Amino acid sequence: MNPDDPAVVDILRRAMVARIATVSRNGRPHVNPLYFVYGNGKIYLGTTDRTLAALNVKANPRVTILFNVESEPSDRRVLTIHGGAIVRTDSRLNRWYLLRDVRKYFMSRRGLGNTLAHARLLPLVRRFVSSGDKGGECVLEVQPAEVSLATEI
Amino acid sequence: MKRITLNVNPVEARDLLERVPRACLAFAGDEGPRVEPVTFWFKDDRYLVGIPSTAASHLTDHEEVVLLVDDGVQFFDLRAVYVRGHVQPLDGAADLAGNLAWLEVQPTRAVAWDYARIREVDDES
Repeated sequence: MNPDDPAVVDILRRAMVARIATVSRNGRPHVNPLYFVYGNGKIYLGTTDRTLAALNVKANPRVTILFNVESEPSDRRVLTIHGGAIVRTDSRLNRWYLLRDVRKYFMSRRGLGNTLAHARLLPLVRRFVSSGDKGGECVLEVQPAEVSLATEI
Repeated sequence: MKRITLNVNPVEARDLLERVPRACLAFAGDEGPRVEPVTFWFKDDRYLVGIPSTAASHLTDHEEVVLLVDDGVQFFDLRAVYVRGHVQPLDGAADLAGNLAWLEVQPTRAVAWDYARIREVDDES
């Protein structure tokens, strides 16, 4: 299946959480749910550079990502994308990603409602993000290579 | 010393294992990482996983896997249980529903997180 097939693009535009599988330098598997944006035929996932996902990508660029349309539980399609990833730390790309991430996840009615309902936690989130415990912000840029679409059993 | 964490005791996220919004199983395939959506059943504190037979054929006995059960789309709704372990075929799987290969994940480590439970804790490291 072609990565720019309309059915693939439709899911990538509607899916909200990507579950990205990576493998460590020692061959150990890992999977993590991450926010993402789709653009320029690529998938961009936001994380920090000390997470297992980012460390694994630096060691082994191959990734596999699962997507589904969470807003429609009756839609049982599952999109699987295999591709090559790189860790992008440049500020230009990170700014580009952040703008789209905020627009996608926080500037919607549901996103704003969720944030306002938890407004008391925002200072903690700000400290968590800026503490540096997880490293600096980065983006995993994934170039899709193989795509398959299946129906979940 | 204090630090901020999203982590919770997996016992506190047990409802995710019983309700199972989304579940997937990751492992290291011959041609790179693989991740498959799975049917998950938490029975008697055992992690039972139903996986399409075609995908199961890529797994070997006792292979290391990661089982992820996660929920939520909005930031403060994001929750997950992450189980690292080893798979083995499940005895008596014929009794289970579905046209799937059934495996048991024997956990070596389980963690859970819940973005709505972000908080400051004593740093014991």
